Amino acid sequence: MLRIQNLTKVYPNGTQALKDVSFEVKDGEFLVVIGLSGSGKSTLLRCINRLIDPTEGKITWDDIDITAAPPAELRRIRRQIGMVFQQFNLVKRSSVMTNVMNGRLGYANPWLSLLGIWPPTDKQRAVKALERVGIADKASSRADALSGGQQQRVGIARALMQEPRLVLADEPVASLDPVLSHSILHYLEQLNKEGMTVICSLHFLDLVHRYATRVIALKDGIKVFEGLPAEIDRAKFKEIYGEEAQEVRATTVEASA
Amino acid sequence: MKKLSHLKRMVLSALVIAALVYLYSVSYRVTNMDFVRLVKDAYKAREFVSAFLHPDLFTRDTETVTITTTFPIPCDSAPISEPVESGPRLVTSVPCAGEKERFILEGFDMAPSTEIAVRWHFPDGRVFTILRTTTDADGHFSAEVEARAIAASAGGVASAIEVDTYIPISGLKPSQAMKDVTREIFVTIFMALFSTTIATIIAAPLSFLAASNITKRGPLGTSVYYITRSFFNIMRSYDPLVMATVFAFWLGYGPFAGTMALTVVTVASLGKLFSEAVESIDPGPIEALQASGANRMQVVRFAVIPQIVPDFVSFIVYHWDINVRISTIIGFVGGGGIGYYLSEKINSMVGYNQAATAIWAIVIVVWVLDFLSAEVRKKLT
Ligand SMILES: Nc1ncnc2c1ncn2[C@@H]1O[C@H](COP(=O)(O)OP(=O)(O)O)[C@@H](O)[C@H]1O
Ligand SMILES: [Mg+2]
Repeated sequence: MLRIQNLTKVYPNGTQALKDVSFEVKDGEFLVVIGLSGSGKSTLLRCINRLIDPTEGKITWDDIDITAAPPAELRRIRRQIGMVFQQFNLVKRSSVMTNVMNGRLGYANPWLSLLGIWPPTDKQRAVKALERVGIADKASSRADALSGGQQQRVGIARALMQEPRLVLADEPVASLDPVLSHSILHYLEQLNKEGMTVICSLHFLDLVHRYATRVIALKDGIKVFEGLPAEIDRAKFKEIYGEEAQEVRATTVEASA
Repeated sequence: MKKLSHLKRMVLSALVIAALVYLYSVSYRVTNMDFVRLVKDAYKAREFVSAFLHPDLFTRDTETVTITTTFPIPCDSAPISEPVESGPRLVTSVPCAGEKERFILEGFDMAPSTEIAVRWHFPDGRVFTILRTTTDADGHFSAEVEARAIAASAGGVASAIEVDTYIPISGLKPSQAMKDVTREIFVTIFMALFSTTIATIIAAPLSFLAASNITKRGPLGTSVYYITRSFFNIMRSYDPLVMATVFAFWLGYGPFAGTMALTVVTVASLGKLFSEAVESIDPGPIEALQASGANRMQVVRFAVIPQIVPDFVSFIVYHWDINVRISTIIGFVGGGGIGYYLSEKINSMVGYNQAATAIWAIVIVVWVLDFLSAEVRKKLT
């Protein structure tokens, strides 16, 4: 169980990105975070693995206090939390295989890994991860030679190398077209069904309805909704996204629902 | 109001124009500009242009064959030599002559189209070269010679006229200048290579300290960032020539001084380029690797280095190329290598053909390196 208590983030320039956000995520949930861009979704996800240090509040995972973890322990925590990014965040000039192996660095012998020496079991694990996302044949291609959808699959394979108990996905499909979006989210759904907890920020409501087991919504850094996907009706939608966005979003929802 | 500003602008423009005219007239005077001389004195460049077109590249081994004939001055001071009828031989228009008389010296059946040297061989053993020339296609030459007092017979022994024929006995082989230039151009290439290498070893780690995205964190990081940056900027403000002069005083003339000067200049320049390359990397992969639990070293090794290596390599190759050019120039102020050789030959006034060899070598090497570095850089992007 992941427990977020009174989380607040103020950036050095004074921007208040999160205000007193609290919620819980049970093991095995597929929690979706929604909200306009700038509402604090990325900040929230990055606080969970401390890519960003929260200003106030506490994050605990089972009995571990993530917010208080010293560097070495933080790395041990991070290696159990996979992360998938909107821009994939692959090393473009490195091969697909190298990118996937990068996901295992947290477990590797630090010195041998610097020399690029890996135990054979890790290599087998990488091949399996690539097979799992259906691009084993691309292992030796340069990452930037792949299409966007393929690159995001490499991103998922890299996260799989961590054998994570929790996956943070920050708008994993925002750079992809709708068909590819479903194929990527489908992988996350499968992993979730196998017992992995997923926290994923999304933009389109139809995707939220299709994949989420629970939803929280942020607006200007404040949690304005927490509940089941089905509870987000037009009125809630208007509240979260504001009057102006309503028409566009609503038609998007209707058209693709 | 509007009119006033209009007037003001006109006065201002007039002042600016007047100032410019004055500036240019002064610069015209102080630089001794005289475009007419560019044309009028063109003939002065002819010697050098001709040398440039005839670089000293090859030479041949020769065997010297000497033929001789005695020539009494005045007549009856010594016996005349028996006339030779066949084979390489010298024939004079008169068998002997009085002082200051002129006669014709001819050679027959000698090696065709071959360099020869004609000289007096005095009775006391000293020699005096009369002229150097070349035989014609039939192995014949002729020359007018003066019977000088210095060549007079002594003690009943006449002076002899000797002709050395330099018969080539080998094919073309590299001349001394060619050998020297080859050696010196390699010195220059290695000066550039070595200074670029040392500079890379120093600049690569420093460049990370001067990259805002890596170092500019917290008060300590920020001060390290500014200190390294200023260090690069201060070093960059020294010109290679000034540096080379300083090092030549310090370490004496030669390639060591030149290499040190190049190193200093290159550290500054590469440091700046490297740190800009580091600053322009995509932070995404760094974030991704941190998120997976990788430590600092692993992040640098797998997220930073793969992104910067191509840029770094292309800057290094580019600087090697530049350093070959610069080290040519700093050779003139005592930096060693081909530049030093070139300056020596130009200053000696007689080594123009050797200078030409050096210039050609520089042109070729610079062209080849330019091409190679462009190819490498193309491959890397
Ligand atoms: N590094 C940063 N420094 C300052 N402000 C930031 C930074 N990152 C994000 N912000 C601000 O914090 C707010 C929340 O941003 P973000 O978490 O990226 O929202 P979202 O992911 O929902 O689009 C925005 O106003 C954004 O401009
Ligand atoms: Mg975001």
